[in-house]
Amino acid sequence: MSRLAFSKPSKLKRVGSILPALFIAAIYMLLPTFGLRGFWLDVLTRVNIFLLITLSLDLYSGTTFYLNLGVPFTVGCAAYSLALLNRYLGVPVEYAILPSAAISLVLSLVIFLPSLRVRGAYFSIMSLLLPIVMAGIVTSQPFSLYLGGEGGITYSPLFFSYARGLPVKERAFFLQSTYFYISSIAAIIAFIVSYKVAYSDFGFMMRSVGQDELLAEASGVNTVRVKLVGFLISSSLASFAGSIYAAMRPPVTVDVFIPANTLVPPLTAVILGGMGTIVGPTIANYFILLVYEALWDVIGRWRVVLYMCLLIVLVLLRPQGIVYYLYTKLKRLVSSKIAELTAGV
Amino acid sequence: MVKLLVCDSVTKKFGGIVALDKVSLEVSKGELLGLIGPNGSGKTTLVNVISGVITPDEGRIVFEGKDITRLKPHRRVALGISRIFQGMRVYPYLPVYYNVSLSARSVYKDARLARAKTTWALTITRLLAEAGELPINLTPYKLRMVELARALVTGPKLVLLDEPFAGLSPSEIDEVIEIVKKLNENGLAFIIVEHKLRYLMKLVNRVVVLNEGKKIFEGKPDEAVSNEEVARVYLGVL
Ligand SMILES: Nc1ncnc2c1ncn2[C@@H]1O[C@H](COP(=O)(O)OP(=O)(O)OP(=O)(O)O)[C@@H](O)[C@H]1O
Ligand SMILES: [Mg+2]
Repeated sequence: MSRLAFSKPSKLKRVGSILPALFIAAIYMLLPTFGLRGFWLDVLTRVNIFLLITLSLDLYSGTTFYLNLGVPFTVGCAAYSLALLNRYLGVPVEYAILPSAAISLVLSLVIFLPSLRVRGAYFSIMSLLLPIVMAGIVTSQPFSLYLGGEGGITYSPLFFSYARGLPVKERAFFLQSTYFYISSIAAIIAFIVSYKVAYSDFGFMMRSVGQDELLAEASGVNTVRVKLVGFLISSSLASFAGSIYAAMRPPVTVDVFIPANTLVPPLTAVILGGMGTIVGPTIANYFILLVYEALWDVIGRWRVVLYMCLLIVLVLLRPQGIVYYLYTKLKRLVSSKIAELTAGV
Repeated sequence: MVKLLVCDSVTKKFGGIVALDKVSLEVSKGELLGLIGPNGSGKTTLVNVISGVITPDEGRIVFEGKDITRLKPHRRVALGISRIFQGMRVYPYLPVYYNVSLSARSVYKDARLARAKTTWALTITRLLAEAGELPINLTPYKLRMVELARALVTGPKLVLLDEPFAGLSPSEIDEVIEIVKKLNENGLAFIIVEHKLRYLMKLVNRVVVLNEGKKIFEGKPDEAVSNEEVARVYLGVL
C-alpha cells in the first residue's frame, strides 16, 4: 500500500487507467462484426452473464466475508419467476425480465436473514441449503406439475417474435449477436457499479464489517444497514443474471439451482481473482470460464476435477488471489510507463 | 445540573458469574474518571454495557438525560460515546486512513465534513504520515493512536478507554496522557480502565473501584490509595 493510497488519483492518471479498459471493451463488443459466430459467441454471452454472478459474490462475500453460497437460489428464483410470469400470466419475456429480477431480490432476503444472527460457516451452510432445497422442490410432486419437473419450462426466447420476421438464414445470427451485445453491456455496467461500490466509503464499510464486525458496530458503523444494502446491491446482480439468462436460453430447468452449475465457476473466479478486489475476479471470470469451455474437447468431464485441484493448490499457495496479484504488478508497470511518458507534460 | 452519564444499579450475569452487581456510577461533563479493580472484577463488562456492546440484565444507562439502555452501539457513538477495546483492535486489512474515516463517515452524513474530521483526528494523534499504511506495519504505540483517532473522530463527549497504557513504554504512556489531558481541557470526559495505577492516579480526578462486580470504593485517588478495602483486594499492589 503506497502512502497516500487514500487520496484521489489525478485526472490524467484516472483517464490513463480508464482508456485501456475502454479500448478492450470496444474491441470485445466488435467481435461479432469481426466475424465471430456460432459456438464461441454463445460461450462469450454465457461468460458475460456469469460475470454478474461472479461480481455479485465478490461484492458481498468478498468484502463482508459472509460467504453467500445461496447465489444459485437468487439466480434460480429469477429464472423461474421469468418462466412462470410467462407461462401463467402470459407476460412476454421482454417485459418479464425486470419484474422477475425484483421478485427474486425479495425472495433472496431469506438468505440474508440468518446473517443478523450468525456468521462464518453457519451463515454459509444455511445459505447453501436454500438452492439445494429449491432443486428438490422443483423436481418433486406436487410442485413439479406446475414448475415443469425435470424438463423445465419453455417459452419463446428474448426477441424471438421479432426474429421470426427475418429471413431464416439471418435469424440465428441476429439472436446470437443481439444476446451477445445485451450481455456485454450488462457485464460492463455490472463491473462499473461493482467497482464504484466496492471502493466507495460504503464499500469500505462493508470491508470493516468483514474484518471486525463488533469493532465496526462499536465505532459507529450501522452494520445491519451496511450488510442489508450491500446484500441488496449484490443480489440485484445475481437476480438480473438469472432473468436475462433465462430470457435468452429457454427452457428453465432445475440446473439453475444446482451449485455445480451456478456457484462453483463464479466462486472459483472470486477466489482465484482475489476476494473483494472486483478487478481480479472479473479477469478470472473470463479466463476461467473460457478455458473451461475449451477444455471440453481436450479432457471432457475431467475438467471439473482439474479445476477443483487447481483451486485447492492456488488457495493454499496464494489465498489472496493470484489474478489480482498479477494485475497490480501489471498496473504498476503500466502506470510507471505512463508517468515516464507524461513526465515532460 | 444534568449528569453526562448515569449508570443506575446495573447488573449483568454470565451464567452463574455476576459480572456486574447493582453498579451505580455518575460521570459529569469534562470529568476524568479512573475505573480500577483486580482481574475479572467487571471493568470491561461495565465499558461494554455503557458502549452498548452488551445489554444489562437490570438497571438503566442514561446519557445526557436520555435513557440509552437498549440503544444500539452505533447510535450511542452518534450521541457522543466512543470507546477503545482492551488489547489492540483495528481493521487489519484497511489502511490507517480508512480505519479512522469510516467512523466519521458513519456519523457525519456530509462527506466533506467527515474528511475534515478525519484529518483533524489524524493530526492530533500524529498519524498523518502513516495514513496510507496498513496496521501490520505499525508499532503498538501507533496502533493505539489509530484506536484513539477512531474514538475521537466522531466528536464524542465521553470516551471509554479500556487499558490504554497496556503494551506501551513509559515515554509512550506519557504521550498518551498528554493527549488525554489536552482533550480533557477542552471539555471531553473520559472513563479510563487501567492496571498501571502509578500513571492513572496522577491523571484522574476520581476513581471507582470494582471487586467481583461490586463497587467497593468511589472517591479521590489519594483516598483510594489509603482505603483499607481497596488495599485488601489489590493484595498490596498499591
Ligand atoms: N462474554 C462473556 N461471557 C461470559 N463471561 C464473561 C464475559 N465477559 C466477561 N465475563 C466474565 O465476567 C467477569 C468480569 O469480566 P471483565 O472482563 O469485565 O473483567 P475485567 O475487570 O475487565 O478484567 P481484566 O482486568 O482482566 O480485563 C469475569 O469473570 C469474566 O470471566
Ligand atoms: Mg478488562
